[in-house]
Amino acid sequence: MSLSPQDLKQLFRRLLLIRRFEEEAFRLAVAGKFSNYHGGMGQEAIPVGVCYGLKPTDNTMITHRGLGVLLTRGVPVGEIFAGLYAKESCPTRGRHPIFHMAAPELGILAGTTMVGSVIPLATGAALAARIQGKPDVTISFFGDGSVNRGDFHEGVNLGAVRKLPIVYFCENNFYAKSMPLEASTAGGSIIARAQGYGLPSELVDGNDVVAVYEATQRAVARARAGEGPTFIECLTYRWTPHSTAGDREFSRTAEELASWKAKCPILRLRKQLIEAGHASAEELDAVDIDIQREVAEGVEFAEAAPYAAPEVALENVYV
Amino acid sequence: MARMSYAQALNEAHRIAMHDDPRVFVLGEDIGVYGGIYRVTKGLQAEFGEQRVLDTPISEIAITGAAVGAALVGSRPILEIGFVDFVGTCWDQVFNQAAKFSYMTDGRASVPLVIRMACGAGLGYGVHHSQSLEAWFTHVPGLKVVMPATPADAKGLLLAAIDDPNPVIFLEHKFLYEVKDEVPDGRYTVPLGKAWMAREGADVTIVSWSGAVPWALKAAEQAAAEGIECEVLDLRSLVPLDEDAIVASVEKTGRLIVCHEACTTGGFGAEVIARVVTRAFDFLDAEPLRVAAPDIPVPNSLPLEAVYLGTRERLLEAVRGIVS
Repeated sequence: MSLSPQDLKQLFRRLLLIRRFEEEAFRLAVAGKFSNYHGGMGQEAIPVGVCYGLKPTDNTMITHRGLGVLLTRGVPVGEIFAGLYAKESCPTRGRHPIFHMAAPELGILAGTTMVGSVIPLATGAALAARIQGKPDVTISFFGDGSVNRGDFHEGVNLGAVRKLPIVYFCENNFYAKSMPLEASTAGGSIIARAQGYGLPSELVDGNDVVAVYEATQRAVARARAGEGPTFIECLTYRWTPHSTAGDREFSRTAEELASWKAKCPILRLRKQLIEAGHASAEELDAVDIDIQREVAEGVEFAEAAPYAAPEVALENVYV
Repeated sequence: MARMSYAQALNEAHRIAMHDDPRVFVLGEDIGVYGGIYRVTKGLQAEFGEQRVLDTPISEIAITGAAVGAALVGSRPILEIGFVDFVGTCWDQVFNQAAKFSYMTDGRASVPLVIRMACGAGLGYGVHHSQSLEAWFTHVPGLKVVMPATPADAKGLLLAAIDDPNPVIFLEHKFLYEVKDEVPDGRYTVPLGKAWMAREGADVTIVSWSGAVPWALKAAEQAAAEGIECEVLDLRSLVPLDEDAIVASVEKTGRLIVCHEACTTGGFGAEVIARVVTRAFDFLDAEPLRVAAPDIPVPNSLPLEAVYLGTRERLLEAVRGIVS
């Protein structure tokens, strides 16, 4: 459970991979290379902290900002870029936006476009694990924008009442698209809702990858031991707009954004690693150069990849 | 062979499927201890346990989504939603989620799920418990749509639906639950997409399904007394559709009437007629007709509901008219 210096360096690498990916994806979308990008820059500690300790058979269901989960669980960078370009060389073959792709062999059961619709689906995956007698745990990711949907309330209630092996994981970045939390969510607290369903819950600093990892591990252990769901609310902030399609900025202030950039999860871990003597600045810079090369190669792969042939549009409607 | 009701035949299909395949489980509201509104799941919880026969909260979004999620990881759920009218509450999970996974994932994920729902009028249940909404489902690629009309088909089609790797919408007509007939013993399947020639005849083809099949057979019997021989085709499933059987019958009779209980506008009758006009126009001796409900919600009182169900009486008139 406790993280070694080697683990911390692995976490650093994963965080930085997502950041460099996010930066490049945002840049390419703005440049018109593909139609849209729903970035999660600034929130990298959550997918990394959650997924780092999972078993490959544990299931995750993702949100619009789930590309960090794909990267952390092992989907190649080039395939994800190919997905953004809607090319054939990605798991959806251009049939469906990459934000919601599935990779069942990596424990990624998919996401859905409808905010919060994954919560009942993830609950069902956990129900099936129980019925099948498997030790698998399901992580249901969702944002603060989901908690006013019926899917949230019905799904969490069902998971709670049946004590299913699931972690309900809320990434609270304080804005649902442009809607601030206080204007959308009565009662002023998301975690209070989980407590209303009788769920053990934790409020976690979502920009602290180690804290996210540890909270997840506690929740997963509870689920695996048959003790039922845990609700985790991580506080974080999205540096980029909801998407690159026309809604670049809204009500939040430059000061607010700057205050969260000061809490960058990557700089924070980098500082820890250096101060503890686990890594030198040069070593971490070398990691960065390596990652930037990996990202650039991923873009090249996607640019060169073909679109699927027209007949692919007609296939797989039914199994 | 045993004589049993449509509801009992469905119950037997559940029991066989659960016995044969440990992946099959059943969930829904009041289906366990109580045995379901129509007693279709009666006794299953006692026989197979609470882990495989789950009584759920009244949470159609959660239980439909959960059934889809369970199917994604290798289970084979059978979900009961008491009335098709309730599907609006969980429609996103049906048409955006269940129906799309195979396509989205290039066939790497599938949703082997059966959603059973009661449809149809005739019992005075009013606007929210009586509708026939099959056309909605046929408009969503990725869903199969099955509507048995007899006890034997109810059993064989349900077993086929459970075996199918795709999401299947299984619509049971609530007026048929107590209808009894001979049902074969043991496991058998009736393939999806294969229509049943319920009656042969040379003059008029009546295409129908579900609760309208008995109406068609009755009208055919009355017409025969007047010297008009009707061929009655029960489609059994709308998706997949046995277009060949429809076309073959129309090529023989030259006259087509589609009779369904649902409202006329946007009903599946329009689709049947469009297919026949496209493939067998030259064989038609008269313009095809659809005999279906007026475009109204289903009223509550039996005299008012009879207005909605006037299709039954109008069918014989339509048969007389199309041959004259």
